[in-house]
This record gives sequence, structure tokens and C-alpha cells, in this order.
Amino acid sequence: MWYSVANDKIYDMSVDFVGLRLANPVFLASGTCGYGDELSDFLDMNALGGFVTKSITLKPRKGNPTPRIVETSSGMLNAIGLANVGLDCFVEEKLPMIEGLSTAVFVNVAGETIDDYVAVVERLAGEKGISGFELNISCPNVKHGGITFGTDPAQIEEITRAVKAASGDKPLMVKLTPAVTDIAVSAQAAVNGGADALSLVNTFTAMVIDIEDQRPVLANRTGGLSGPAIKPMAVYLVNRVFQAVGGQVPIMGLGGIATASDAVEFMIAGATTIAVGTATFAQPDCAMAIIEGIGQYCRKKGVSNIKEIVGCLQ
Amino acid sequence: MAKSCTRRRRGSATGLVVSNAAIRPRFYRLQLRIQGSGSALFAQTQPGQFAELQVSSLSVPPADQIPDGLADVAQRQIILRRPFSYCDIEVENADSVRLDFLYCVLGAGTVRMTTLKEGDPVSILGPLGNGFSVPEGKKAAVLVAGGMGAPPMQHLARSLSENHGDIALTVIAGARDAESIPFATEPDGKDDAIIEEFAPFAGEQIVTTDDGSFGRKGFVTVHLENWLTGAKYRPSEIVIFSCGPEAMLAEVAKVAEKHNVDCQVSMERMMACGIGLCQSCAVDVKQAGSKGAVYKLCCKDGPVFDSKDVVFGGKRQNI
Repeated sequence: MWYSVANDKIYDMSVDFVGLRLANPVFLASGTCGYGDELSDFLDMNALGGFVTKSITLKPRKGNPTPRIVETSSGMLNAIGLANVGLDCFVEEKLPMIEGLSTAVFVNVAGETIDDYVAVVERLAGEKGISGFELNISCPNVKHGGITFGTDPAQIEEITRAVKAASGDKPLMVKLTPAVTDIAVSAQAAVNGGADALSLVNTFTAMVIDIEDQRPVLANRTGGLSGPAIKPMAVYLVNRVFQAVGGQVPIMGLGGIATASDAVEFMIAGATTIAVGTATFAQPDCAMAIIEGIGQYCRKKGVSNIKEIVGCLQ
Repeated sequence: MAKSCTRRRRGSATGLVVSNAAIRPRFYRLQLRIQGSGSALFAQTQPGQFAELQVSSLSVPPADQIPDGLADVAQRQIILRRPFSYCDIEVENADSVRLDFLYCVLGAGTVRMTTLKEGDPVSILGPLGNGFSVPEGKKAAVLVAGGMGAPPMQHLARSLSENHGDIALTVIAGARDAESIPFATEPDGKDDAIIEEFAPFAGEQIVTTDDGSFGRKGFVTVHLENWLTGAKYRPSEIVIFSCGPEAMLAEVAKVAEKHNVDCQVSMERMMACGIGLCQSCAVDVKQAGSKGAVYKLCCKDGPVFDSKDVVFGGKRQNI
């Protein structure tokens, strides 16, 4: 797969990622692109490297009360609470549309117990339209499951191993939380459990207070901070993980990417693929400009293959 | 309930500012023109639908032009679009459409919008959400507007008068006080005061303020109740369309239910995207056949809902 960025030359934007050949390294992040069905008015989903669906849980989840979001300087907090249609409805209503896409589709899986995760992955492991799974053990906005798995290395390894055993021949990517002392320890635990890739980072737990009411703005009190505000922290964490386990598994970098320059930073830090999240809310076709801009960067730097910039940090 | 407006395709376009003028302190009327590609899409906008405007790149006005109480919030670096309903849409020709918005300067986004000048480009997503629909067999429509809920009612009033001329139109518009009426109409303490912007479309107008500084004193819901009690139409021939603060909508819904009259309410929620991605704009909606409720999305399933379906109680945020 090739992607043209200039009339005079064709550049190879394709990347190999967990055994998949992708048109380019740009994904849309889980929770910011639905199940791929909402964005088709604004961009061609097949022009992406891929996308990660909103979290799927075994049973439907209503999610948290409102307000669920609040904007902050250069960012936003969300506490959606893993609202989703549930496994059965996903299979019945969303999967047929996904099967019609040629782009890579990772299904983000969440749950309260290891059995919940395994049940979802077992059901979907044989579905042709799905390229792989992203294990959500880093959601900060639910009382059970989510981040409670992702902050304990022993639990990370255990749940990764259990889900990997259920995922058949499909690759498993583990999404890491920044809410740990050393993310390299989490990364190694996921790799030990059999992860095929790591995605990082999920949001940073945060709070906004209404000073008139003297109460948190979000009904959930806390939420996950995303957007440009977290980008430098995310870049650092990607590089930290790349140094620790980059030789063993590829990394999907995310956290505040809004421009091609942002994306290139993550790739230089060690990300093979990158995901655009919050920026899509403000500009639904933002990922298209990022794909184009990465190509222009490669041309300017005389890079003939995009793989050359992955982890090239001096 | 019959649906006369189905969900249409959405898209993005660039509008150029035609004008952006203060119509009274804190209230602005913004007119954008979309020409060429995109104009046809926006020309299809139905009353009650909304747009998302990109305002993050706008500069903060000079300190002396920032309204009291907003100096701190104005410094926040914003990233998200801002959702607005339309107060009017003028299809100028096959290649040009003018979109009118009324906004109140309340937060980091709207304070930046005051700096928009003629000719400035504004990125706009639309038409978004589902608008009001006119059920079959109606002979009278009552538009109940509260505060900043009034602008989309103007769009609806025009649409009803142009497309449903056989339906008698009554507007009941209220606000906290004369200064909070979001139109240019001069305040007038008389009981029969009207809002000029509704005059071409509404056969009858009842304007109220909580303190009586414009029109009649009292809440719109009291006047709605009186109107329904004295109405010469059967309940099945009446439809209520309402937009305003959620507490008011909850009261309107109660009055409508008591009188067994169809009622559609336009809800408001903080939303990050406006296009069904972020899941933040949840509205509690009763589940048919059970006592439970489910969350629907204000941006995609609404913002207009049947009032009987909504579980009211959301909290407002300033943008």
C-alpha cells in the first residue's frame, strides 16, 4: 500500500504493525470515533491506517450521569464511564458495517472481571472484520475493572495472558495508564503476559472545580485529561516504554496529538503507529491532515520509508 | 408522532462573517454566509438542528472589552467547537446561504467570538441533530421560549409560517428580566409588549419576564397553562414546541402532559464533538415499556425530544 504525498514522487507511508500491513501509521483512538459509523460524513475511514472502536463490554453500559465532560486549558476531562451498546448489539448492529471497511479495526475491550474481558474476546476472535483487540485496563472513570487492573503489574500480566489465550490468531494490544510510578514496569508486565503491542497513554486522572458551587464540575467528580495539555508527558512515556520493551513489541503512541508535527514526535520517540483522539472532536477530518503532514515531513527529511523515523531519537 | 424531518447528511464548510454585532450588552447576532460547495447542505437545515462553530483560533479581546466576571475564563486556551442553534436561515440563491446565530457572551468561547469581523472565515459543522417535526392534524402551535432558548424558536416560527400556514402560531417568550431577552427589541413594561422578531410569524404573542420589566410578570409556564385552558382547539389539535432552561422545559412538559397536548423540547448539553463521537451529551430518556431510563445523545438523537420521554434534571454549564 502506497500513499502519494507529492506529484513528483511517491512515498511509502505503509507500516507493518502486529503482522498487519497498514496503509499509513495513523489511527483514530478508542472513544473518539465511535464504532466507525459516525465519521463517514467527514472522512474516508478507509484512508486511515486504522481505528480503535469505543470500548465494548459484555453487557450494555449506560455510563455516568452528566456533566461527563469539561473543557480545560488546552485539554478536556471526560468521565463517560464506558457507555456502550454491549457485545450482542455490537455484533448485530455495528459489526456488519465494520466488515465492509478495508482499514484495520481494533476492538477496545473492557470489563469488570477477567472473565468479562475473555468472554468478549472469545466471541469476537473469529470475526473476519476485526483486525485485533485493544485491552482497556486503563479507564479511570469506572468503579470496577479498568484502571484497577492496569496499575498492578501482576494483574496486568494475568489479564493479558488470559485474554491473549482467548484471542485466537488476532493480535492483542494492551493500553497502558500513566497513573503508575514507572510505566516501563507495566509495559514489561504486559509483554510478559503475551501482548503483541502496547498503546499509550490513556488519560490522566484530573479534576475541575466549580468555584461558585465549590464542587467538582463532573458528576463523576474526576475525569481523564486528554488533549494537547498531556502531549509532552505522553511523548516522554512512549519513549520510556520504547527504551524498555521497544525491541520486543511495537508501540501505538497517543495523547494529545492534533497535528502532523505532534505525530512525528511520537514516532521519533518510538511509536510505530499513532492515534488521534480528542483532536477529532474539534476537527473530524484532522487525521487526514496528519497523514498528509507526516508524508511532507518524510519528504523534507529525505526519508524514503516512514519506518526510518520510528525510535530515531538522538 | 409523525416525523417530517429525517436525519440528513452532515458536513463541514467555511462560512464568512457577514456581520457580528452586539444587539444589547452581552448579546450578539452573528451572520455567516456559505457560498459554493456546502451551501446546499446547510440550506437543508431544519429548525431545531444546530451547528458546531470552530472558535479556538480566535483571539481574546482586549481586557476592557471583556464582560465583567469573564476575565479569568477568557484566558483559558480552548480546543473544542461550540454548538449553536440557528435563529434564522436565508437561502439567498442556489449557491449561497446565510446562517444567523444569536449568542450570549458567557464563557471562553463566546468571549472570543465577539472579535469576529466581516469577512473572517469560520469553520462550521452541520446540519447536526434532529430538529422539530410537525405532527399530522395540528391546527395550533405554541412556541414556548425561555431566555437563550428563544433564537431557535424564531427559526421555527418562520419555518412554520412559510410551510404550515394553516397552523395558528402563538409565541410565549420569557426571560429573567428585560436585559435577558436575547433580541434587539426595546424593553417595554406594558402587558401587551411583543418581540418584533416574532411579529411577522406569530398571530399571538405573550412576552413575560420574571420581574415584569418587559411584558407581563411571571413565568412562561403560567401563561402556557392559561392559554391551554382557554384554547379553542382540542388538545389533539395543539402542539407545543419549547426551548429554554431545563427547569423550564420540565415545567412545560408537565403542563403539556396535564392537558394531554403533544410537546417537543429542545435539550441542551455540554458536548465535545456534536456528531455522536464523544458520548458526553447524554440525556436521560424513559425506556418504552419499562420503568427504567436509557441515555440518548443530545447531539444525535436530539436535541429535540418528545417531552414525555425525557427525564429532566441536567445541570447547565456556561461555554
